[in-house]
Amino acid sequence: MSELLLPRRGTLVAWTTQGFVPKLPYAGSDKADRFTPFGVGLVQLGDVIRVESRLTESDPTKLRFGMEMELSIVPFYVDDADDEIMTFAFAPVSGSTDSP
Amino acid sequence: MNDVAIIGAGLHPFGRFGDKSAFAMGAEAIDLALADAGVAWEDIQFACGGSWEVAQTDPLTGLLGLTGIPFINVFNACATAASAIQQAANAIRTGQCDLAVAVGLDKHPRGAFVEDPMLVNMPSWYAENGQYVTTKFFGMKINRYMHDHNITSRTLARVAAKNFRNGALNPNAFRRKPISEDEILASPVLNYPLTQFMFCAPDEGAAAVVLCRADVAHRYTDKPVFVRASTIRTRRYGAYEVNTTWAAIEEDAAPTVYASRAAYEQAGIGPEDVDVVQLQDTDAGAEVIHLAENGFCADGEQEKLLAEGATEIAGRLPVNTDGGLIANGEPIGASGLRQVHELVRQLRGQAGERQVPGNPRVGYAQVYGAPGTAAVTILSR
Repeated sequence: MSELLLPRRGTLVAWTTQGFVPKLPYAGSDKADRFTPFGVGLVQLGDVIRVESRLTESDPTKLRFGMEMELSIVPFYVDDADDEIMTFAFAPVSGSTDSP
Repeated sequence: MNDVAIIGAGLHPFGRFGDKSAFAMGAEAIDLALADAGVAWEDIQFACGGSWEVAQTDPLTGLLGLTGIPFINVFNACATAASAIQQAANAIRTGQCDLAVAVGLDKHPRGAFVEDPMLVNMPSWYAENGQYVTTKFFGMKINRYMHDHNITSRTLARVAAKNFRNGALNPNAFRRKPISEDEILASPVLNYPLTQFMFCAPDEGAAAVVLCRADVAHRYTDKPVFVRASTIRTRRYGAYEVNTTWAAIEEDAAPTVYASRAAYEQAGIGPEDVDVVQLQDTDAGAEVIHLAENGFCADGEQEKLLAEGATEIAGRLPVNTDGGLIANGEPIGASGLRQVHELVRQLRGQAGERQVPGNPRVGYAQVYGAPGTAAVTILSR
């Protein structure tokens, strides 16, 4: 086995929204009445691999198949030690076109 | 190798039944199947059962009779019941026995299915990050499919409305109230583009069949239903399936496609020969996709088929005549046997208000579930 550095950018191959709170062991702080839907997608990184990921965008009118996405690190929850835990999510690249 | 016939089918209604145990439901389903076949539990020489919620199904013998027979348990997620049928049929095919029972039973808590991701070899971060949700996979798959093949949300609503209508005709169904297409479209979006009323729900229920060596089936019934094919396939490299953190760039077809092709080959028939169809409709989009994956239409043709009413009970390709998963819910272990129970009723002309006209001769059942496992059963008179 060897390590391979994946591209940070890719294209959106498939997507949906998560409209209800995932059951435990979901760790997000957005549980119960504080929940806001998040996007989920399959992002193709170059010609290497497709990865499933949260998306920063959950508005269906702002997500398009083939749009360019970039990896970002976003706040997720605060743990028992009061530390902020981050997670990864792909964000639309501003000005992205529908090019495949 | 012996041919195999189904000589009895029994079903405990699907729904919510308070304190009643999954075992009690399973025993009732078997009793109904035995009575339907005109045989006693003491005549059964082999059994195979499946369930998610109970540790093993063979304690059923404590309710039915401790006869000492070999009793095998299977679990194959949504393909569990189809796998139980295959094991029981194989026992007859290979000459281990002449009379066998396949049974499925379950009693799920409310809400989307959940379990420890480690139990299915998924990393715990996948669940902590909010990705271990089966319904979001179905949302992604149908969203992409609709984009690629010009399917509208109206077609998804038509599928769900049809299944609720069929469920209203089925006394054993969980949901027995028709819901309009507009109401389905206006219900909350759970996983875009899928709304609440486009999804099935986990529930409770049981179903069973009695199988028999085909050459002696006439001793028990004048309406044997023959098992013409029983296939199971898992995902291949390149298929993007439920519960996966990644997918390959080069796409391969879903496991249903391979299970379906193998089943047609085994049965020596094609999709054009099928008269009544049961498809896995975990959600309305799944039924749309499975129509094509099982060879019943080309990709994209579903838009026209649904608009024309082709998949209605009186249409040329009746699909999920008992309301499917959408109206019956999904007790995982029992679901595939519910499909086969319905096909047996249809092929014998015993489906009452929801009987497909024209004396259907060939029935087809498909199940699909995590982590990319599909099974197909083909039956004929």
